[in-house]
Amino acid sequence: MELFVGKILPYITVALLLGGITWRIWRWMIGRIVHNITLSPFPSSWGAAVAWILWQIVSFWNIFKFDKPLWVGAWTMHVALASIFGGHVLGIATLGNQFHLLLPWIVTEAQSEAASNALGTTFGLIFLVALLYLLYRRFAVEKVRVISAPSDYLHLLLLILIVGVGDYMRVFHAVAVEYEAARDFMLGLILFHPGPMPVIHETGLINWYFFVHFLAVQIMLIIFPFSKLMHPFGILWNRWIYNRPYPEPPMGLPGVKLKL
Amino acid sequence: MAMINIGGKQVEVDEDGFIQDPEIWDEELAKGIAPLEEVNELTEDHWKVVRYIREYYLRTGVAPMIRMLCKNSGFTLKQIYELFPTGPAKGACKIAGLPKPTGCV
Amino acid sequence: MPKKIVKGQELSQPARASARVLKRLYVREIPDEEKPAEALKWLDYYRKDRRSLVMAMESCVKCGVCANECHAYLGTKDPNNIPAGRADLMRKVYKRYFTVQGRLFGNLVGAEDITMDTLEKWFSYYYQCTECRRCGHVCPFGIDTCEVTMAGREILWGIGMIPDLQGAASAAVYERGNQGNMTKQALIETHDFLSDEIEEERGFRMEFPVDKPNSDILYVPSSADYLLNPETLKGACQFFEYVGANWTISSHMTEAGNFGLLTEQHSVQRELVERLWRTVAELGIKKIVFGECGHGWRAWKMYTPTLTDYAIAGSGYDYHNRVPIVHIHDEVAAYVKMGKLKLNPRDNRLAPVGKSITLHDPCNYCRACNLIQNLRVNLYASVPEVREMTPNGEKNFCCGGGSAVLYDDPEMYELRGKFSLKKVEQIKATGADILCAPCSICKAQFYGVLKEYHHLDIPIQGLIDFVGAALVFKGHRQI
Repeated sequence: MELFVGKILPYITVALLLGGITWRIWRWMIGRIVHNITLSPFPSSWGAAVAWILWQIVSFWNIFKFDKPLWVGAWTMHVALASIFGGHVLGIATLGNQFHLLLPWIVTEAQSEAASNALGTTFGLIFLVALLYLLYRRFAVEKVRVISAPSDYLHLLLLILIVGVGDYMRVFHAVAVEYEAARDFMLGLILFHPGPMPVIHETGLINWYFFVHFLAVQIMLIIFPFSKLMHPFGILWNRWIYNRPYPEPPMGLPGVKLKL
Repeated sequence: MAMINIGGKQVEVDEDGFIQDPEIWDEELAKGIAPLEEVNELTEDHWKVVRYIREYYLRTGVAPMIRMLCKNSGFTLKQIYELFPTGPAKGACKIAGLPKPTGCV
Repeated sequence: MPKKIVKGQELSQPARASARVLKRLYVREIPDEEKPAEALKWLDYYRKDRRSLVMAMESCVKCGVCANECHAYLGTKDPNNIPAGRADLMRKVYKRYFTVQGRLFGNLVGAEDITMDTLEKWFSYYYQCTECRRCGHVCPFGIDTCEVTMAGREILWGIGMIPDLQGAASAAVYERGNQGNMTKQALIETHDFLSDEIEEERGFRMEFPVDKPNSDILYVPSSADYLLNPETLKGACQFFEYVGANWTISSHMTEAGNFGLLTEQHSVQRELVERLWRTVAELGIKKIVFGECGHGWRAWKMYTPTLTDYAIAGSGYDYHNRVPIVHIHDEVAAYVKMGKLKLNPRDNRLAPVGKSITLHDPCNYCRACNLIQNLRVNLYASVPEVREMTPNGEKNFCCGGGSAVLYDDPEMYELRGKFSLKKVEQIKATGADILCAPCSICKAQFYGVLKEYHHLDIPIQGLIDFVGAALVFKGHRQI
């Protein structure tokens, strides 16, 4: 069990994730953008179009404009997700020293680790609350409930499981995974020399919380390319069709007596 | 494709009751269609409108512009709606044996 | 039309085209038992052809933002009229046959087999969408359900499920080059009548040239104008005469609309495109000016360049060498902005002083063709008082008849009424006396439902009508 989830599955996961994303995008690219079906008012140039797309991605502008209660949950959730993703990568790679490395003359190593811990816990809890709010919304708001498939709830529940277990490990120090342990484990995987999973210090036994967290993340990454979770790529490919400039023909009628 | 019985004659009509073959139209047929369009009796005023539409159709192949119909038959649009409660494009054209007007109407 | 009942749910469907109409459209009706398989083949074809369809099928996260922004859902509260729900009718089938998750997990991810029931639902709900693109405008991902509706309708067309209204209009396009079955004789008689009217109003006559060789400008009116909107034709004529244009109307191609865009892009839309370029070559046209038609303008402005894939004089492979296609309001606005048109808003036959006018932004003008500003330039210059609707511009709601869901069978008529609830609310809120709707479908929808269904008695005019009536002529010609 531990062998499979900790030493074999990660490689399958990464292969499926990268291969899946490539395959899915390749499929999207088969169809042509047959006609110019951009939405007006047209962006004035390609630069403006790209800026608009990026603005939509960063701020969730359309959700903010048309559905504020959703924006509160969705934007917060995604910001927390991005922070936590960044925190996992940087925090584990630098052992919590990321802020010290970024601003060495201001932040000390100890301060950096404290900040890393505080931010991780805060965003982890925000993430969980936002997910629960989105799940509640999917149940409670009729217009969303009627268009939801079982998988829409399952995606949320999977994320809640991942975040819930992660937060539990953060909040209860007895089952926490230290940066070193996490780094060693990940480094082993990256160097194709997988080591054992992190253990609980007191008992020396495998940390099942970590096991569940790690397995659930892998499940999410495996279904990512084959489900609606692909939407961060979808927004780029979709808006590329609808947000593009259009050159207007010059005005003025030929052969008229009253010229422009 | 539906067949309906009008004045003892089997007539082919479309989904909305417009006769399919404008050639077979005659005044008897018009009298038969009229009750279906909430016109109980075809008075002289009705005939004036119906004949104008019919004549215009035979000449040009379509129904006349509503405003043209009003001006040339001497009725206001309101009066035409009083004569043909289902409206000029539907009621009057159907009684005059025209195919259903198509497009954005 | 007997009501179709699918899984206990009653479906409202438009009347179907008869075998006679299908024959005129060169469409073979496929027996019911073969329809699902054939529809699936078409879906496979369109998904490989159009990225917009694939992206709409694969990017939705069901966030529900679109629901309360769709006039169809607001009016009917039918979950299948939520844009995401409407697309889901196709997405379920798409998932089942063309995605890994749907093949492996089926119902769990909302995938469904295609059956005749599915197609009956498509025929109901894809003809309840007005292709107004408001969902595309509000969707955080920019998913345009209009593309799904278009594909859905085209698939249904391919298997012979065509509404009578679209079918008969398209057959008329094949036979006479316009959706209203207009003949050259009808054009000439109507023009004569309108010339007489202008003479009565202005004291001098203006003619509408038909098929005049060596014309510089081809004006393409909507064929519905010849039945319902005399002022729109007169307005355009007065503008062209005012600027002294060498213009003409063609009897070979008298249609600013193009139902092909909305229901069948391969042959019907192409037919009119081909007719347009032939007319341009025959009459030596240098610029094509289109009249008031919302979806039509989108078809001509955005689709004609890419639909013209054959060589014909004027169509020009290179965009910049092509005979330009413009909208009459863009041209008028250019004149107004330069101060070249003498317009008197205080002396407008159609909008007397003291009356206020509200502008209904046709969806295709404002969300597909960038006409928002120019419509206003023209309107503010020609009428005494304008009251804007909220929301307007690119956020405007559809009239409820968009994409020609102008059916008059009782159930569909009822739906048309419900679709326009939001619009009527907006119109009433402005308190305006006259409604300006510069699109033939919007006009037809408003003529049809405002008074009868909503008991709102308000005159309806196009926009060029006001421009024409506000023009100040000096004698016969301005110059």
